[in-house]
Amino acid sequence: MTITSPPSRTARRPSRRAPLAGIGHFLAFGAPGLLLYLGLVLVPVIMSVRSSLTDENPLHRSTRYTGLANYRELLGDPAFHRALGNTVIVTAIVVVVPNVLGLGVAILLDRRGRLYHALRAVFFTPVVLSSVVVSVIWQALLTDDGMVNSLLRSAGVDHPPGWLSDPSIALYSVASIIAWQMLGFCVVVYLAGLQGVPPELHEAAALDGAGAGGRFRHVTWPMLAPAVTINTVMLLITAFKAYDHIQVITNGGPGDGTTATIAFSVVTTAFTGNRIGYAAAMSTVMLALVAAISVLALRFLQRREVNL
Amino acid sequence: MTLVLDRERARPGVAARNGRARTWLRPVAAVLVTACFFLPLYLVLANVFKPGDEIVRSPAALPFPPTLDNLTAVLTRTDHLFWFGLINSVEITAISITVLTVLSAMLGHYLARAAGPLPKIALAVLLCGLMVPPAVIMTPITEVLRTLGLMTSVAGVVLSNVGYYVPFGVFVFTGFVKTIPVELEEAAALDGAGRFRTFWQVIFPLLRPASASVLIFLGTWIWNDFLNPLIILGPASGTTVTVGVYRAIGEHQSDYGAVFAFMFLASIPILVFYLAFQKHFVKGLTGGASKG
Repeated sequence: MTITSPPSRTARRPSRRAPLAGIGHFLAFGAPGLLLYLGLVLVPVIMSVRSSLTDENPLHRSTRYTGLANYRELLGDPAFHRALGNTVIVTAIVVVVPNVLGLGVAILLDRRGRLYHALRAVFFTPVVLSSVVVSVIWQALLTDDGMVNSLLRSAGVDHPPGWLSDPSIALYSVASIIAWQMLGFCVVVYLAGLQGVPPELHEAAALDGAGAGGRFRHVTWPMLAPAVTINTVMLLITAFKAYDHIQVITNGGPGDGTTATIAFSVVTTAFTGNRIGYAAAMSTVMLALVAAISVLALRFLQRREVNL
Repeated sequence: MTLVLDRERARPGVAARNGRARTWLRPVAAVLVTACFFLPLYLVLANVFKPGDEIVRSPAALPFPPTLDNLTAVLTRTDHLFWFGLINSVEITAISITVLTVLSAMLGHYLARAAGPLPKIALAVLLCGLMVPPAVIMTPITEVLRTLGLMTSVAGVVLSNVGYYVPFGVFVFTGFVKTIPVELEEAAALDGAGRFRTFWQVIFPLLRPASASVLIFLGTWIWNDFLNPLIILGPASGTTVTVGVYRAIGEHQSDYGAVFAFMFLASIPILVFYLAFQKHFVKGLTGGASKG
């Protein structure tokens, strides 16, 4: 450690950095990007929190300060509770399914050669497609008389499930569609992780008498920790943002908000219901949840990485 | 060197011992699993080239003989929904990713090089932005854009994209700038190059792999974006192609030929972009995966 950073070098740092630092460097290189971020993300977040304390509504003449009234209403609002629960279900499916299946597919495709290369590209295609396009594809497949059910009927199933029209199934269908789209992302990240495992480690373990299962558990799996972190964080963000799929496939239904997540409820409450103050209270709760879960997830996942 | 070669030879040996009889198993399984995964995409591709009645009769059949009627119908719509959308999508995506690459490379460079607590705080605040769901800031952004007189304009969508994706660009560039020795910049400064010249002629060309990741990821995200163009551009004719797909399903609920053809055309540019830059795509992901 001392060899890589001798004290003389650190001592010289400030003066050596002088031509790069300073207010001129900040104004020319730092300020433009920071200002745009400030004006279009940070200020809007603050505006949103402030507006959550009002009854802002574009149909009203004036906006009144209402304190915590919106939050009190949220506490007793069954629609919000359902959206919260739906968000938890969608997040669980979207985080777990592509992670598990993605690892399996990556192990299957972890070989050199043209064939495996082409198959990887196929898995990644939905990641590149718009979520609107993916939603329309699956909607065509899963509507009551869609292609999946006509196949089931011709196979002798008299009453195939209403994948998108049955309130008890629709949410799981939508979450699975998001999972299908994200699968290729996990496959590619896991493949990169698998290729980073030095073959020597496998050989050493094999010489010590470890079977395929033992080698996976004790060699491959720990080496994949950074890949698990990337995939999980990426999937968490995707799950929280889930809006497009729900809007296009079910529009929050069937019935009353059976597939509405918080992100979906925020947008519909603000732009369809015009209750901007109330939607802002929802977004503030959502932001707090996202922050808490991100911090917890990162802590947990990175501790796993450090403990290698 | 011989050691390395020995190791490389050892590996296939182990594999062969373990399953010489089953070498066909993996490729067959891989193709079958991929085929199941690909099935939904196949159904769209096949049906783009079939007449409507055939889609209903035999949705899974190969399009034979193939017809281009669905595609020409989309391209010759009287409201030009596809063409207007295409122009907007290209404009929004091209301008956004150019501005974003330049701005976040410069900001990333500043944050990686500047000393002191303030740049550290700025970086932390920026990275928090990676987690903000777009729905949370949608309403206030429309207010900001209305104040600037940019609602229902391409410029408004570009501006909201730039603000929202700066954190991602900075995240990629800051890490990358740190791998470039400061000495290079000092040498250029000693030779009399100003700050901008040093950056554009020495540093920026070295950032090419990072720029490729940023351009490709942001290119696909912005091309595919739904919420921003839907709300900022509004219902005026000619949104983006992605919102156009959404509009097209509203009009032809059950005419899958027309809807699939619209989706097919809307996805071609981004698929070509992906196939052309596939390597960089994987490198962008891989770089992150190995860095953790």
